[in-house]
Amino acid sequence: MLIEIRDMHRTYQVGEEEVRALNGVDLDIEKNEYVAIMGPSGSGKSTLMNILGCLDTPSSGSYRLKGNEIATMGDDELARIRNQEIGFVFQTFNLLPRADALHNVELPLVYAGMKHEERRKRAREALTLVGLADRMKHRPNELSGGQRQRVAIARALVNHPSIILADEPTGNLDSTTGEEIMASFESIWRQGNTVIVVTHEPDIAQHAQRVVRMRDGKIESDTMNATRVTAVRS
Amino acid sequence: MNLRESVGIALGAVRANKLRSFLTLLGTIIGVASVIAVVSFVEGLNRFVSDKLIQAGSNTFSVDKFGFITSDEAYQDAMKRPDVTIEDADALRAGVRHASLVIAQSSTRENVRWKTERANGVDIRGRSPGYEITEDLKITDGRHLTELDDQRRRAVCVIGPEVSEELFHGLGAVDREIRLGEQTFQVVGVTEAKGKLLGQTQDRFIAIPIRSFVKYKRERGSIEIAVKSVDQASLPVAEQEARNIMRGRRHLAPGKPDTFAITTSDTWLSFYNNLTGGIYVVTIGVAAISLLVGGIVIMNIMLVSVTERTREIGIRKALGARRRDILTQFLTESTTLSLSGGILGIALGVGIALLVGALSPLPAAVSFPAVGLGILMSCMIGIFFGSYPAWRAARLDPIEALRYE
Repeated sequence: MLIEIRDMHRTYQVGEEEVRALNGVDLDIEKNEYVAIMGPSGSGKSTLMNILGCLDTPSSGSYRLKGNEIATMGDDELARIRNQEIGFVFQTFNLLPRADALHNVELPLVYAGMKHEERRKRAREALTLVGLADRMKHRPNELSGGQRQRVAIARALVNHPSIILADEPTGNLDSTTGEEIMASFESIWRQGNTVIVVTHEPDIAQHAQRVVRMRDGKIESDTMNATRVTAVRS
Repeated sequence: MNLRESVGIALGAVRANKLRSFLTLLGTIIGVASVIAVVSFVEGLNRFVSDKLIQAGSNTFSVDKFGFITSDEAYQDAMKRPDVTIEDADALRAGVRHASLVIAQSSTRENVRWKTERANGVDIRGRSPGYEITEDLKITDGRHLTELDDQRRRAVCVIGPEVSEELFHGLGAVDREIRLGEQTFQVVGVTEAKGKLLGQTQDRFIAIPIRSFVKYKRERGSIEIAVKSVDQASLPVAEQEARNIMRGRRHLAPGKPDTFAITTSDTWLSFYNNLTGGIYVVTIGVAAISLLVGGIVIMNIMLVSVTERTREIGIRKALGARRRDILTQFLTESTTLSLSGGILGIALGVGIALLVGALSPLPAAVSFPAVGLGILMSCMIGIFFGSYPAWRAARLDPIEALRYE
């Protein structure tokens, strides 16, 4: 099992009030699954994603990633897990504005302590894979929204992580470009990667193999997607 | 993340905000520049002093009426003392057994004429024979003043090359007669050029026998007596002998203070050291204040930078940057920033020192330890004042940071 979550709780203190963002979540995800996590805002899906991405730790319960308990890890270990095991794709791309595409993609490898030449080579490969071989020296503001998100996907892939974790990856894109991005995820998944997409858009979720719906900090339903639609580049 | 990576990011950040970086660094630049400039001046002066003054007069001392006066009160007291006279000098010459040379000397300024040529405000020096040794003068034409010139109060003079040039325009000076006020003096020698000392020419003087000088001035006045001991070791003995003789001549009872002053090069040296010490203290004060202000400005701008780049920090953390990676990045950035300030400050300080050295008589020598100190100081400011902003950046929560607009 790649991911094992058991009885996970996450509470926040907001002023006097205690907010239960996650209230007893159990979830297993196998290697090479394509999962959509859905739910309205406030359902706890963002909190779950942060914990899955090792940006946050649960208040109680267990999270095992490849058999390693994450819930009790310290800052530096979490940073290492994020670096080695997680590839993030964000709604707002989150590229460094002053760095070109190549350097943005290199960044995880910098923190992995990889040598310069090797880094360059791997980053070029990743950018070529997402079809941006001719845009390597462009800065984010010289790229279209779709291209930026593809740079972000290349960055997520470059260190060969166990999970690709995408948070509303098409939220800032028009529907055609969004479809292209989903086609990228499709092909990444077909190459044997595990893809988790957090979204509130059914159009996006329909590409996933499995749909997990959340409500009030709990999993409301967890179903295989019988009507899966393959995303294709138009 | 290695250092090269951090320095690259830091330089990128500095370059992205050129004007802001420059303004941020003004305090550091001024602080380092003032240290470099002042240390260069003092170094230059030190070299000059050790080269010239100490070397020339390391085993001489002088006896005169005033000595080393540093206050008006001391001056008023010293005014009441009896004059130091040629007879005192003769007594010292006869009595100080550890002296190799005793020179009576006095100076004034006067206009000099030869036919229609004039030289105004020339340094007129009354000197005992032997003065050429204490003053390190060489003759290029003619001869020095002699014992006989002095005893007979002859109206003869030795002139500096500048005076010779001004009056005779290279026509040859020896045997010509020049006029000092009402008196006519015959030139017997011209000295070799010595050049400038602290911007003052050393070649524009007329030396006449001290007894002729006293006679010519028609009043006795107080003179100065320079005593050169046989060697460095016997300087204190010679000084004591001179003191005893002077006290004896003035019938001073034991316990009474001297009514004359003995000044050694040590006196000058300690005054000089006090002066440069003072300059150093003031400089360190000025530099410390500007560096403190500079450091605070750097801290402030780094705090701004951390806030502006909260999202960048979040991204880096999401991609696997550890706290220490972020800490290193921002420390490197603040150090790069302050070090650039230090380097600009060094350049400016050296520039000022060289410029002033070229345009004014003040000597300036670039001091390499000071340059090293400047670099070290600016690095330390970067690290010290960058620590808090870097620490703030490092402990940012990645989720909060990513959400930051």
